Amino acid sequence: MRIRPRLLRSDLVTPPAATDAPGLPHPDLVAAIPRLRRYARVLTGDASRADDLVQDTLARAWEKRRLWRTGSDLRAWLFTIMHNVHVNQLALARRDAANVSIDADPGNAAWQLPVRANQLDRVELLELVELIGRLSADQREVLLLAAVEELRYDEIASVLAVPIGTVMSRLSRARAKLQRLIAEPASPLRVVK
Amino acid sequence: MNPSGPLPIPDAEVQAYVDGQLAPDRLATLEAAVASDTALASRVAEMRALNAALRDALDPVLAEPIPQQLLAAAMFPGARAAGLRRWLGPAFAVAATLVVGVGIGWFGRDALIERAGTPTTFARQAAFAHALYATDVNRPVEVWANEEKRLVTWLTKRLGFQVHAPDLNGVGYALVGGRLVAGNEKPTALFMYENADKQRLSLQVRKQAAGSGETAFRYAVENGVGVFYWIDDACGYAISGNVDRAQLLKIAHVVYGQLAAAETATPK
Repeated sequence: MRIRPRLLRSDLVTPPAATDAPGLPHPDLVAAIPRLRRYARVLTGDASRADDLVQDTLARAWEKRRLWRTGSDLRAWLFTIMHNVHVNQLALARRDAANVSIDADPGNAAWQLPVRANQLDRVELLELVELIGRLSADQREVLLLAAVEELRYDEIASVLAVPIGTVMSRLSRARAKLQRLIAEPASPLRVVK
Repeated sequence: MNPSGPLPIPDAEVQAYVDGQLAPDRLATLEAAVASDTALASRVAEMRALNAALRDALDPVLAEPIPQQLLAAAMFPGARAAGLRRWLGPAFAVAATLVVGVGIGWFGRDALIERAGTPTTFARQAAFAHALYATDVNRPVEVWANEEKRLVTWLTKRLGFQVHAPDLNGVGYALVGGRLVAGNEKPTALFMYENADKQRLSLQVRKQAAGSGETAFRYAVENGVGVFYWIDDACGYAISGNVDRAQLLKIAHVVYGQLAAAETATPK
């Protein structure tokens, strides 16, 4: 089975040569792992929980491998699985610990993201990552999928199982809120250059 | 906004414009609006800057090496047990691993595993380190063989367990010296050997996670360089080089025998 994910301009990795040897990691899944890890890191805010989520997602993908289709965007499909696994895990966690909100963890310093200095300096990027954590989970997902993963809006709608109008309104609110947080006097990110 | 001017641009279209997803037939309208409306232009610029900042903040995750358990999870579950042993097990499930490398070589196959950064299996890391240091005529090692005792003490201390430099004079290779090499998670000890033809072997040791109880010899060829490696409950060993397989196996047996004897003599 060979699935060729749509390449986007921010793709940092080139797809590996297709190898269908059964004893090897599937090249298309391996190619998707860095982006799944990144998305999971933002969803969970924690590197090791994020990798657990990626692992669960890959396991689920194998269970549902009959749904892989040539020409479909494997990456968007994997994001869909990850979203569902994460939502289910949150529901379970809430049931197990009704008084502890998993998402209410704003400004968590344990984002554990490596940071590269570029447009903003290191501190500013760390701060930005913290501010992302203060968005609602819904806003965070839409913003990440659109701005960072560069998925098409219709793909995002399909990943999150919401109408495309909901994607657009969440995206708009996410951007407005993030810009408001950046503009707050407490934020060192007064202006995003 | 000028009431007699063009209709205001819907927010969804501004978002789509910023994200590069606007329908092509609306692009000209948007560009004209941005050119004439400074408020809209600065809103678009801010949103673009935010997109860029988000990517700057989050892109570094993509460059991190992929953990072994995720590579394993990307493997077809039916083939996983055998595949893991074949590809990941030797690098992961042993208490210490030892590699001897001969000659210079690269590892072109399995680019998929190493493309995330450092090569992930110990055999490939060892081949990488060997190719790097064995070709260095003047400085292949940090501590030379005339200070063998100090070398072994230092590496033992850095690795956190007793390491030994096997005596390979019986098969024509003399110890050159050794160095410490960065591994995926743990530091690796490297011993370099050289024969009369100036052909070099390097022997690498590192501590791993849990023991697996395997002892089988495994042989692989990476771009003309043969690699022998094996594992027992405490250690793994490997030899790689562009000498023939039979000679490599002979050296591997000598190393194996000496280290097994040394291990018996110094219980952990």
